[in-house]
Amino acid sequence: MSNEIHHYTAEFQEFQQNGATKSPSWVNDIRSSALAVFTDRGFPTTKLEDWKYTNVSPITKLPYHYASVVSAVPSELVSSLFVDGIDQHLIVFVNGHFSEEHSKLNSLPAGVTVKNLISAYATHQEVIKEHLSKYATYNENPFTALNTAFINDGAFVHVPAGVSVEKPIHLLFISTGINGTYVAAHIRNLIVAEEGAKVSIAHGFSSAQANTNLTNVVTEVVAKKESVVEIVKVQRESDTAYHVENLHVHQYHQSNVHLFSLAVGSAIARNDISIIIDGESTECNLNGLYITSGAQLIDHHTFMHHIHPNCPSHELFKGILMDKSRAVFNGKVYVEPEAQKTDSKQTNRNLLLSDDAVVDTKPELEIFADDVKCTHGAAVGGMNETHSLYLKTRGISEGSARGMLTVGFAAEATQKIVHPVLRQHVDKIVVDHLRKKFGTANLPDIVHA
Amino acid sequence: MIEIKNLHASVNGKEILKGINLTVKAGEIHAIMGPNGSGKSTLAQVLAGHPAYQVTQGEVIFEGQNLLDMEPEVRAHAGVFLAFQYPVEIPGVSNSYFLKAGLNEIRKSRGEEELDSMQFLKMLKEKMKIVEMDPSFINRPVNEGFSGGEKKRNEILQMAVLEPKLAILDETDSGLDIDALKIVSSGVNKLKSPKNATIVVTHYQRLLNYIVPDVVHVLVNGRIVKSGGKGLAMELEANGYDFIREEMQQSA
Ligand SMILES: Nc1ncnc2c1ncn2[C@@H]1O[C@H](COP(=O)(O)OP(=O)(O)OP(=O)(O)O)[C@@H](O)[C@H]1O
Ligand SMILES: [Mg+2]
Repeated sequence: MSNEIHHYTAEFQEFQQNGATKSPSWVNDIRSSALAVFTDRGFPTTKLEDWKYTNVSPITKLPYHYASVVSAVPSELVSSLFVDGIDQHLIVFVNGHFSEEHSKLNSLPAGVTVKNLISAYATHQEVIKEHLSKYATYNENPFTALNTAFINDGAFVHVPAGVSVEKPIHLLFISTGINGTYVAAHIRNLIVAEEGAKVSIAHGFSSAQANTNLTNVVTEVVAKKESVVEIVKVQRESDTAYHVENLHVHQYHQSNVHLFSLAVGSAIARNDISIIIDGESTECNLNGLYITSGAQLIDHHTFMHHIHPNCPSHELFKGILMDKSRAVFNGKVYVEPEAQKTDSKQTNRNLLLSDDAVVDTKPELEIFADDVKCTHGAAVGGMNETHSLYLKTRGISEGSARGMLTVGFAAEATQKIVHPVLRQHVDKIVVDHLRKKFGTANLPDIVHA
Repeated sequence: MIEIKNLHASVNGKEILKGINLTVKAGEIHAIMGPNGSGKSTLAQVLAGHPAYQVTQGEVIFEGQNLLDMEPEVRAHAGVFLAFQYPVEIPGVSNSYFLKAGLNEIRKSRGEEELDSMQFLKMLKEKMKIVEMDPSFINRPVNEGFSGGEKKRNEILQMAVLEPKLAILDETDSGLDIDALKIVSSGVNKLKSPKNATIVVTHYQRLLNYIVPDVVHVLVNGRIVKSGGKGLAMELEANGYDFIREEMQQSA
């Protein structure tokens, strides 16, 4: 047994004795089988095709300890992370532990549940049992296996049939460092939108300070028949932290799902996003933007699974790379033989702002139906000369032109966000981040057509 | 105002401009016509400073300065403006932010006070009247989702705001409906003064009924092969470029 695995089996024993007492016993069974898979496989190495460009040894070599104590964070910090001035539906977790103090959940529409998983067992055990660990299987992804072994708390969202939640629900996960400890939070979320439900969710990850925490998340989303679900992830953790998420969406007949992944934080971030389009005439939109600088590495692995006929899927990921940073994009689209008339478009475009930045982009199309329209394209390049010239002919300097075109490049991705409040939220974070990285306030606020 | 002497330029190793000579004085309007692919936009882009084009020979003197030595934004500061044949879309960035940034950099380069947002907006709204543009365009992203004609109007709006000494309009008339053509032309005429000059690149004599040129040049295969008065444009409209090609053959 390798040191790493040994460390986590010891961790697991301690966790079972001290940390995992509040969950039902069937959860314990899931944990044990997941641990068995993890100890069998261990962490991924770059020898595996799926991890070829992302070396996770900086994460795996550290003796991470699940956050066993509840840490405090200042409320000014929390409010600085709000989606809007008020953030009406907000559930906050600190190092994976529910923070009742910072959450605001009293104005939810009738029947809608937003709770921490641990307290949801009492009211929604049936629903949880039906869905938990049914989609994000731990057989393939070792981080998911590890997360599942340490299932403890996370957000539980349940929107009953036919109910619309107008204002976004904000799931906010804050990591905070603890001196002398490498803190890991294995966060487990479950989001269920029943038939015809409508909900928009901000899925936020931030750090209270520069820290080396590991945030290892598994989020399962079920979008039932004719539901409309938007999830906007905002990952802006400390650039010395590590972030891994397996976001798994299972969508049914005529549901409409919009996902957006903004990734600007952490030293290494790995996002696995899988969508199973399990119903006819079902629409999926998966978009994202990553901005990397310094020595950051941000990796998106997406998987779009078309099972039934007449489903459109659209995917646009854009990347802005600076300094010696790296990005990985791997977009798999799998079309089953029955999935005729699939209309799938995937695009990945990268703007390299430095000669030392590297991007590995790889579309993977596996199509087994014959009557489909599937396109994909990947582009990696610097600033467009003609665009830049256009600005300069108006007197705009090289530096300002660069800034404006970078903002414009980002805006083409963020305009895919549907909920106007979430779009504004992301636009602001993007521009603030770029202002910081460009070292100038002289960048435009984003406007959309 | 501008003197182009024996200008040769190439792109990707292919020579496009093969010795252009052209002098435009303050107060003048010059028209450049010529078949597709003859090098009209290339000339415009070279004057604006597009880095993809290499100047292999010749020089361009603008207001006593060597234009080709200047960065594109410095040319703009000096008073050169190009209305693009294909205006660029800049998503995310509002028309007003973009124009204010350009104008203030130009003003700064001339030692003039920068305009604040209020002053700028007031001025912008005045200028928008010249091209009859709706104020809703102020906060829309630059050219994104604009119709072909709206983009061209936006080019003239930019020219009106930046008040260049030399404006080069590359097919600003194409894609305009008849009303828009009149609006754009009258915009250009309103901005005309004895102190500035305009080069209009066009395929259509129609435009020259509204913007009356002092000189018409015909550019064929990278060279100006014929120059004349307004009548030359009418002759071209009636006969096409063949008669010029024949003349060239005869003189060869
Ligand atoms: N970047 C480039 N790479 C290769 N060829 C180019 C490039 N730019 C221009 N050319 C070529 O140079 C020639 C002149 O092009 P230019 O755009 O200047 O023509 P034009 O006179 O403006 O034509 P039009 O009336 O169609 O606008 C064309 O043959 C064109 O294909
Ligand atoms: Mg042209």
